[in-house]
Amino acid sequence: MGNASRAAPIFRFNEQRAHLVRQTVSRVCDATTDPLHALNDAAYHETRRLDGADGARDQERLDAWKTLARRLGRMSTRERQAALRELVTEYAEDIAGNFDPRVYSFSTRLVPTLVTGLLNPRRLVRSVSDPASLFSFDLLREKVRVEGDIEKLRRLADIGTLVFTPTHSSNLDSIVFGFALEASGLPPSTYGAGKNLFTNPLLSFFMENLGAYRVDRRLRHHVYKDCLKAYSTVLIENGFHSLFFPGGTRSRSGMVERHLKLGLVGTGIEAYNRTLLAGRERKVFFVPSTINYLITLEAETLIADFLEAEGRARYIIVDDESSRLARVAAFARKLLGLDGSVVIRFGRPLDPFGATVDDAGTSHDRRGRSIDSTSYCRDVHGAFALDEARNGQYTRELGQAIARQYGRETVLMSTHIVAAAAFSLLRQATDTQDLFAMLRVRDEVVDRDSLAREVNRVRDQVIDLEKSGEARLHHGLHDISGGDMVAQAMRAFSGYHTTSVMQPRADGVALHDPKLLLYYQNRLTSLGLGYDPDRAAGRSAS
Amino acid sequence: MSGAAPAVGVIGGGPWGLALARATRRAKRAEVVLYTRRHDEAAHPGIRIVRTLAPLAETPLIIMAVPSPVVRLVARDLGDHVSGRHMVVHGIRGLSDDDLLTVSQILRDETPVRRLGALGGPVQAPELHSGRASAMIVGSAFPDVTATVAATLDGPWLQVKTTRDLLGLEWAAALMGCLSVGLGYAQVREDVSPGLLAALLSGAVDEAVGIARVAGADASTLYGLGGYGDLLASMALPGRPEVVVGRALARGATPAEAQREAELRVEAVDLVPRVARFAQRHGVAHGFFAALAEILSGAASPEAAVAKLFRVARPD
Repeated sequence: MGNASRAAPIFRFNEQRAHLVRQTVSRVCDATTDPLHALNDAAYHETRRLDGADGARDQERLDAWKTLARRLGRMSTRERQAALRELVTEYAEDIAGNFDPRVYSFSTRLVPTLVTGLLNPRRLVRSVSDPASLFSFDLLREKVRVEGDIEKLRRLADIGTLVFTPTHSSNLDSIVFGFALEASGLPPSTYGAGKNLFTNPLLSFFMENLGAYRVDRRLRHHVYKDCLKAYSTVLIENGFHSLFFPGGTRSRSGMVERHLKLGLVGTGIEAYNRTLLAGRERKVFFVPSTINYLITLEAETLIADFLEAEGRARYIIVDDESSRLARVAAFARKLLGLDGSVVIRFGRPLDPFGATVDDAGTSHDRRGRSIDSTSYCRDVHGAFALDEARNGQYTRELGQAIARQYGRETVLMSTHIVAAAAFSLLRQATDTQDLFAMLRVRDEVVDRDSLAREVNRVRDQVIDLEKSGEARLHHGLHDISGGDMVAQAMRAFSGYHTTSVMQPRADGVALHDPKLLLYYQNRLTSLGLGYDPDRAAGRSAS
Repeated sequence: MSGAAPAVGVIGGGPWGLALARATRRAKRAEVVLYTRRHDEAAHPGIRIVRTLAPLAETPLIIMAVPSPVVRLVARDLGDHVSGRHMVVHGIRGLSDDDLLTVSQILRDETPVRRLGALGGPVQAPELHSGRASAMIVGSAFPDVTATVAATLDGPWLQVKTTRDLLGLEWAAALMGCLSVGLGYAQVREDVSPGLLAALLSGAVDEAVGIARVAGADASTLYGLGGYGDLLASMALPGRPEVVVGRALARGATPAEAQREAELRVEAVDLVPRVARFAQRHGVAHGFFAALAEILSGAASPEAAVAKLFRVARPD
């Protein structure tokens, strides 16, 4: 790891933790103009959530909320403010993470060893004579490609605060993305992780100590949401490079996110605005990124959830593949046994207003003119102003700019292309637009030549889009035959998923699991290719 | 400077730009800077005339009122003088190219300005000019833009409504211009009763809503002051240029002759066939616009055109 990374603010996190929490608390308390309303809202949501809960701790909390709700009306303004401060302090302490440089150092050394062990246990034995090789990232680099203008990002990290906003499809994303940062010599980032993940024995140890802050998605009231946003704002304002997933939760359908949750994205804009108000501008650069897997750890659970609910999806899944160590190991072994099976692409960095920036961090408009990004935070009289409504619109526009980059920076792999081709043939065979009718068809056998031709057709469409910069085809797929791509995808599919996705037959290829085919083909929908469940259901894709 | 009325820039010295400049001056007593190549300073007391766009860097609110074909050129020039601090609103009824880009989309492409808005609704240049009471609507996704424009123009004689649906307002303004041509056309036909005319217009508005929604507009914007309100005003304004064009066409004038009769450039003449093509591409109903396009191209006789128009009022 380079010195630049070691100089990252996160290495001083623990010294600043108390200050960050204090800033968060005072900001939320100062901004809450009506503590009675805020506390009532919190009490209402919390008693609803905890009503009927089994655990002793939850019962205790429920009682405390009921007591508070009864007392609120009789409390003086000062007492309400004190109650609010107490609650906000509790939340801020819970949200704020921890960063242990020793764990960071250990984990960055552990990952290659772990991976080596998973892939090739004999190599562990052999490496006794060369211990340094155990801690080398070389092997992992062959498997995980990191793409994008990394030099530029390193320069921008010195000038301002980076806010990475990747796509989200797996609970492994934060680990994989952390590796990408480490392998690229980019500074480690703080990130918000669902509190449910902290119950996962595999992930919790690292998350506890690597700068993750806890996001409790069960808490739906404004005080908690305000705490979360204020904490993220304070982090960015203080120069902590950050990572969050604007999709909010893992993509259930396999589609690249088109509708982003903008709450945390908005904190980057507010943070920048606040540095201007304080007279110490600190630039903020958003880095839309994509995390692309040849196969996805939790694909089966996610697509089942998407199909089961079609709108009523479980927001928090605690019992998927990522919570089962054996499945994670099988996945890692499978994925890392294939070259280039994970690609992380850093997109073009954007300023908080969605404009592109050059190497020096200067923003440019669509005509390429240098622009003064501070001007976006000035009011009609020319003074800096913190205008929530104005910033809200900037946030929506930034979200659109990030989503556009997702489409362009998504790397389409053999599994996605072949699934799209296979699903297209399945649609033709069933002669219906009804998704569930298609999914009921099992073991439809398609002719190998037809499948190869369809693969070529889909691939050519992707290549056309790639020429105009609207898509990216995985390296090595441009010139291989359709048949070879089918074989490559079937190798990738086989042996990990509990059901076989496609099976070779004497008379062709059996499409055994249409749900997984749908999941993998959905990666193409943001390009307007393949079957689009949103469009078929009449939902706007814009 | 805080608290003082910010200076307002107006781009465009045609009747509409001049009316907006006067209305601004009248409402706010703020300094108004008018960029025009037409008028002499003496004719416009209290309005500072400028010949380049550079002085508009000092006016945080800029109102643009130029013909739609020159929007991109003017915007590109303007982009050299403005920053993210500026607010730019336009009062231009136009959609560009076959993709039907709105003026705000062009401004976004050509300038660094993000706080964009549009003016729409029933108000006409003569009303603004003379100070006769009327109403307009300003649309912007940025609340500070709508608030600033309302504070600049609202007064006892001009009611300024606001909407966040900028795109919807731009589409409403453009499409109601087109419908006003159809209105003028039907008004002078003796075979069109008031009831039939009402049926035609309500069907045409529904069609316009369907088309605008494809582009992302909110239906309620077209059914509001910026859409229906605008069209209702056309019924009472025989001198409105779009209505004049429609009437002339119904009397057998060629599109060129009709445009000359209106004395002003009517954006709808060029826009109608592009809207029809756009609707066809997206598979939405466009019978009214197709019939109007035929009238404007001179391909349909008045009788055949009326028959086609009224198929819109009586859909199968």
